[in-house]
Amino acid sequence: MEFRIAQKKYHLMNRIKNILILFYASGVLCSCANRNISKYYFENQKILDSIQRSYKEYSKPIPFSIEFTNTSFTNISIEIFTDTLKYIYEFTLTENRLKDTLQKYNLPVPRVIEIISQMQSIHCTWINNLDYYVGRKKNYLVFMSIRPTLLNFPFTNKKYYILTYFQQPQYYDSEGRLLDHRRRKKIRKINEDVFRRITDKVAYTISDRFR
Amino acid sequence: MTNSSCFTFPNSYFKKIFLAVNFYFIAIVAVFGKIDPADTTPISTQKDAINYIEKIKELNASTYWPHINPQLFLQNVKDNIYKPLEIYEGSNTNFCGYAALSYLPLHDDPIGYVKFMLQIYKDGKARMGKAFIEPSAEIMNAAGTLKFKGVLDIRPADQLWFLSLADHFKGYVNFFDHHYNPGDENTFWASVNYAKFNRMVKKLFNYNVATRGSDLMHPWIDDLYNYISEKMKTGTTVLYLNNATLYKKKHNTLRPGIPTHYVILLDIIKDEDLITITYWDYGFRSLRQITPAFLKKIVFGISHCTKKISPDE
Repeated sequence: MEFRIAQKKYHLMNRIKNILILFYASGVLCSCANRNISKYYFENQKILDSIQRSYKEYSKPIPFSIEFTNTSFTNISIEIFTDTLKYIYEFTLTENRLKDTLQKYNLPVPRVIEIISQMQSIHCTWINNLDYYVGRKKNYLVFMSIRPTLLNFPFTNKKYYILTYFQQPQYYDSEGRLLDHRRRKKIRKINEDVFRRITDKVAYTISDRFR
Repeated sequence: MTNSSCFTFPNSYFKKIFLAVNFYFIAIVAVFGKIDPADTTPISTQKDAINYIEKIKELNASTYWPHINPQLFLQNVKDNIYKPLEIYEGSNTNFCGYAALSYLPLHDDPIGYVKFMLQIYKDGKARMGKAFIEPSAEIMNAAGTLKFKGVLDIRPADQLWFLSLADHFKGYVNFFDHHYNPGDENTFWASVNYAKFNRMVKKLFNYNVATRGSDLMHPWIDDLYNYISEKMKTGTTVLYLNNATLYKKKHNTLRPGIPTHYVILLDIIKDEDLITITYWDYGFRSLRQITPAFLKKIVFGISHCTKKISPDE
């Protein structure tokens, strides 16, 4: 009888220990994710900034956005905005239609192809220009989503690193959260997510949506 | 003498009952089913609306809407008249149903829209069609304060319009969240199920609405392309779509197979194996080529809205 009670106790302790380890591991993973994204940015700063700069420059005359639609990064969707319509195209990277289409809209084909290759190399899922308002003034930021392989476990919600490049230095609170305005101290949300500081002009969040 | 064990009616009695029932049904049809010449869809032109609104140079601030600047409100209403396709639901809100139905008054009865907007701003309540809209105090406080929604941030009249409609019309999806709290524009409070959408179109703008589809099942239509293109010839077609498939936002293999988005279909063309659709998706028109299988996968509802016209016309 005593042996059975001891055995049950042993099993119970084991179960509690496993649960505690699981909690600890998930806590470590979450806190690491926040540190990881800053680390990730500085490790890949050269290519990330280069994508942002090229995209900003070449999407100015004819706005467009680029999305990798599959996890193997072989299919893309391009949205091209004209005065009257938003055209949504889907291609595989090897298709000639891609170049023909870019040419049709007078986009610089080699430059856009280069942006696409750079995005593919760092698993950047989505890039676009997003408008936001400060008071009544319209501003733009470049919105980039990266699919880190570390954060994606099977049967879980996939997470994306989101980077936002602002044109002007932004205000942040003492915890590094992006503020709407220096005086108002109200936290600015983008796509309903709270962003945190990497640099004065670059902020990040981790989201379950890439756009 | 008949050998029947049960009671039998004489023939004349049957005749009387038959005539009475006939008369009853004829009376019902006469009273409820007759075509009322006044029961028509209100129609006006963009020019009428411009003439009307350009006469208004200034609006007084309304005590009902403390966070709405009257001049910004007026400018927003004017913008909607001049550029009806620029009305925008706001990023990450659940206002797409209300934005979709705005297409109808802004194109077919802009003056009705202007009058309604000016009256609700001035009096805090107004009638549109069969709906008397009197927003709650929470809505009046919230309109003009929505932020981080893109261009909706600076369009107070659109905020008032969307919030007031969401506050007035309720469907089963709003069952657990009837009262507005800040941030509810992104939640089930603002959601629009299919029956609610069609009801709103009928009540607000007095259209005939023929519907196929539902909130959970795809419509059983063999040739969807033919059905939709036929419908487009005679009225405004609204598609109720699965947005998670139309605009992928995650790479999850398991995506909810339910519709959450309304768009106004402007054009549909079939070319060999591909279908090109042009639709109004708030703020701008989109053109996209899809396969017939993809069309079948995303479409959950088709609402065909036609104007009620007087028999004399």
